[in-house]
Amino acid sequence: MIQISHLRKTYDNGLEVLRDVNATIGRGEVISIIGPSGTGKSTFLRCLNLLESPTGGSIIVDGQDLLSKQTDVPRLRRKMGMVFQSFNLFNHLSVMDNLCIGPVKLLGKSRKQAEARAMELLEMVGLAEKAHAMPSQLSGGQKQRVAIARCLTMNPEIILFDEPTSALDPTMVSEVLGVIRTLAKQGMTMVIVTHEMHFAREVSTRIFYMDQGVVYEEGTPEQIFDHPQHERTRVFINRIRNYHYVIRSPRYDLYQLQGGMALFCTRYYLSEHIQHQVQLLAEEVLQVIPLDKGEVDLALRYSEECHTISLELLMPPGIVTVWKSPQFAPDALSLSIIQGLCDNIIESVDDTPEGPRVRLIFNLKQNEQ
Amino acid sequence: MEVNILEQNNEKIVAIKGRMDTITSTDLEVKVSKVWAEPGITLVFDCTGLEYISSSGLRVILSAQKQVSAHGGKMIVRHLSPEVYNVIELTGFAKILTIE
Repeated sequence: MIQISHLRKTYDNGLEVLRDVNATIGRGEVISIIGPSGTGKSTFLRCLNLLESPTGGSIIVDGQDLLSKQTDVPRLRRKMGMVFQSFNLFNHLSVMDNLCIGPVKLLGKSRKQAEARAMELLEMVGLAEKAHAMPSQLSGGQKQRVAIARCLTMNPEIILFDEPTSALDPTMVSEVLGVIRTLAKQGMTMVIVTHEMHFAREVSTRIFYMDQGVVYEEGTPEQIFDHPQHERTRVFINRIRNYHYVIRSPRYDLYQLQGGMALFCTRYYLSEHIQHQVQLLAEEVLQVIPLDKGEVDLALRYSEECHTISLELLMPPGIVTVWKSPQFAPDALSLSIIQGLCDNIIESVDDTPEGPRVRLIFNLKQNEQ
Repeated sequence: MEVNILEQNNEKIVAIKGRMDTITSTDLEVKVSKVWAEPGITLVFDCTGLEYISSSGLRVILSAQKQVSAHGGKMIVRHLSPEVYNVIELTGFAKILTIE
């Protein structure tokens, strides 16, 4: 239905928001676009219906290039409805007038036809009794449901949702998501920029994870949420918070490291017990790893999603042979503490621009958390 | 870390406050080694103020245990916080030390 190739968007001030977006959206698909703020999700959506003019690339909708000068853009655009974060209702018109203005002026419907269809759609979104209310008399959730109904009056083939629940009080989010869920069941093609991860997982056929101006990773909800392939995706999905520290020599500052860990634990409401455990784990791990063979990057990671904590070390490859070597028998005490604190220890090799580096992950025991 | 050694009721009491880690344990070892070889001594580690212990601190306690036993004395570890006791338990030394 829509084929997006090498889409780019750079603003006049040189800010490159979309670098090279490539994606395909099929009929009946529900695509949720997720990712950190400022990574181009909304810009991408606005480029799809030309609310923003792309700097380069192509958007092919049913075989027609949206960016070609020959294309009847208003007609193509009519295939796409858009629902905005801030509703964008006409505040001086009643709900019914908001729903009828488009079909009457742009689709050539009679007022009677438009009103009949508007009433059907208001029934669907649960707001029939508000048909003659003014937008100012509605709650945020009701306004957004009206905006969705208004979008549907134009019989779009695809609806683009730009963070439809971001401006809503948490108590009103579910009523709007409920309407979107109904549309998904009816087979409506939808692209939804959202921060509602559980909703995205439940309703989508595919997820686009956007980062650094590209679709960084895409896949089914299971692939993206349960088995993300890339580190950045994993960090975002699991809402992983990090504390980094670089160890440059055996005479590193233990108190600075442990003080940073304590602040990190306080910031994320981790208990004093956990703080104690991670400080101890770090001290013991750094006792059994030779620190004179190159820099060691240490990261304390806490997943707010899974409530798991790990200590990760990235270091030159030579160190691992030492780690595995029996010559560390004198440090059996440290090793027994490490093993007692951790569920498991995972070792892998990362390719970095500086060459291979070994990653050691110490996963703190769940019952220690 | 603050270490005070005092004598009370025929016991040599080592009162520790703060953290026993890689950095502070050496100082503790220097102070305790001055008394651990006294024949027939009852050496007591009073850990009321001990907030944190790592393997480095444990090594000092184990060395003291060895020395005291070798000289016919007795060693007791008192008033451990749950966090510190947990570390001793992880290493299996909770069964070896006399903990009160």
